[in-house]
Amino acid sequence: MTTIAFPTPIGRSHAAARTNRDPALVRWLLIALALVFLIGFLFLPLAVIFTQALSKGWAAYAAALTEPNAISAMRLTVLAAAVAVPLNLVFGIAAAWVIAKFEFPGKSLLITLIDLPFSVSPVVSGLIYVLLFGLQGWLGPWLHEHDIRLIFAVPGIVLATIFVTFPFVARELIPLMQAQGKEEEEAAIVLGASGWQTFWRVTLPNVKWGLLYGVILCNARAMGEFGAVSVVSGHIRGMTNTVPLHVEILYNEYNSTAAFAVASVLTLLALVTLAAKSILEWRIKLQTEKRP
Amino acid sequence: MSIEIKNVEKSFGRFKALKNISLDIAGGELVALLGPSGCGKTTLLRIIAGLEAPDAGSILFHGEDATHRHVRDRQVGFVFQHYALFRHMTVFENVAFGLRVRPRRKRPPESVVRQKVHDLLNLVQLDWLAERYPDQLSGGQRQRIALARALAVEPQVLLLDEPFGALDAKVRKDLRRWLRRLHDELHVTSVFVTHDQEEALEVADRVVVLNEGRIEQIGAPHEVYDHPATPFVYQFLGDVNLFHGRVHDGHARIGETEVELAGGPDHPGSAVFYVRPHEIEILRDRGTGTIAAKISDIRPLGATVRIELERTDGRGLVEVELTRDRFANKGFLHGESVYLQPKRLRTFDHNSTLENTIGSGQFIAS
Repeated sequence: MTTIAFPTPIGRSHAAARTNRDPALVRWLLIALALVFLIGFLFLPLAVIFTQALSKGWAAYAAALTEPNAISAMRLTVLAAAVAVPLNLVFGIAAAWVIAKFEFPGKSLLITLIDLPFSVSPVVSGLIYVLLFGLQGWLGPWLHEHDIRLIFAVPGIVLATIFVTFPFVARELIPLMQAQGKEEEEAAIVLGASGWQTFWRVTLPNVKWGLLYGVILCNARAMGEFGAVSVVSGHIRGMTNTVPLHVEILYNEYNSTAAFAVASVLTLLALVTLAAKSILEWRIKLQTEKRP
Repeated sequence: MSIEIKNVEKSFGRFKALKNISLDIAGGELVALLGPSGCGKTTLLRIIAGLEAPDAGSILFHGEDATHRHVRDRQVGFVFQHYALFRHMTVFENVAFGLRVRPRRKRPPESVVRQKVHDLLNLVQLDWLAERYPDQLSGGQRQRIALARALAVEPQVLLLDEPFGALDAKVRKDLRRWLRRLHDELHVTSVFVTHDQEEALEVADRVVVLNEGRIEQIGAPHEVYDHPATPFVYQFLGDVNLFHGRVHDGHARIGETEVELAGGPDHPGSAVFYVRPHEIEILRDRGTGTIAAKISDIRPLGATVRIELERTDGRGLVEVELTRDRFANKGFLHGESVYLQPKRLRTFDHNSTLENTIGSGQFIAS
């Protein structure tokens, strides 16, 4: 709730201010409520993660992180993100481009399909791949004959990650590109630019902040994904375990210090993502405020 | 470069935007496409540019068929209604864009680019803004930068979509005179779209009046204004009073009044007479061929005074425009009963459709 200071006559300014504000009690109550919620559901869990992780000292913490299975899990998580993010960057730009700049039949269907990974439970997404590519699945026997393993192997994990993170970039770009229209692109083409030149010199620079924002969110989800990956992974230690799966295994083995230590890595990633996101939002705001 | 447009048709879904448009534009001409919104003028401009493909018909540039030539190869300059400047580039880079995207062997060296951009910015008198970004410019400045950017590629044809549409009245007037002078200097074939009849009449060599996807009339500004071919053109090019009546034996009958007609063919039957507000005299005595009315409103508008009158026979309102001097001499008052004498009545064949009202007669009231 903000009030705007108008140069009103003194006698009336109090009354004016009062009508623009909620009663003090309501204000404090709302602030207190928000604070309690934040502490209970965000700050306390965060604190617990780090105290638990460090409860047996830095040595145990370091040991939990440098243990071979933990390192292999981190490697796999980075690999999955490293494949999924660039692919979804390209898919996302391509999808946003056709949706924002062209009219074609089936456009709304395409928009719905892009949202599908958001609306379907990740576990179901994982199951889809098992039913498709698993040994009992539709394509399973053929894959087995040709000695291709997707499910309970690294490719399956990468596939599931790509599926789950698909909408992030496209969702971020579509409204932005639609708002910008296609006049600038048309201007570039009239001036003799080729399709590529138009894309690199006009379209991409216009959406770069939105794109980066989408990539950051996409990356955070790719590294943190649990459900879909859990179904297709098979939980083979040192082979098909990602960081979130590794945390679960450690926790189930009552090795809570190690579990929290590994979890703290994911938490740090989340904090870095949040920071990057805030900086970006601030930059975008600066950019838009410059315009009259 | 001359442009020929032959039998062009264009539909968007079920909406027919252009219906059999044919138009010749001579090299070096400045032509206005004038019409209300939705009349197809912008579509026609975009088809000339190649941003839109016609469903039927052809476009010839300098006698050569260019219907299927890509926009990029048409050598046209296009100024968009909202300028479409590249927002992340400086003014300098905006103007240089067309030179920088050329294929490597045709791309001029950096020094030539710099020289050329500065020449163009000088031409539009905005060299001092070279390092600014588009969102730091006023509307009029953006417009001129958009023009400089379009001219950078040395277009054979310059196309402008509502070039002054988004500007305020004063800037608009300055800018259109400036555009006219610029055209006289450069002599590049230019076509601009506008819905403002004053703009079209002031700037263009020739005016093409469009309505509902068809060409209503083509002609020099004074031709379309003085000799409108259709009722639509007459009404679109200025304020107009309509009088419903009949024509018989060389007389026009409007209400209870007989106006003697001099010259022109006689079309017996009912007719609509068109009279411009400045072509009506207000008299205090009942002369010949007058219509009784009562002054209901007086509005001074700069150099003229607009007087609204109500016909005493109850057949609607009439608008009359007088010069300030004349109004001061006569000293008309609100509520005064007077007589209207149309100086010039114009009628179009009443029963025909809009497209073929060619046999229009012009009558001068005695």
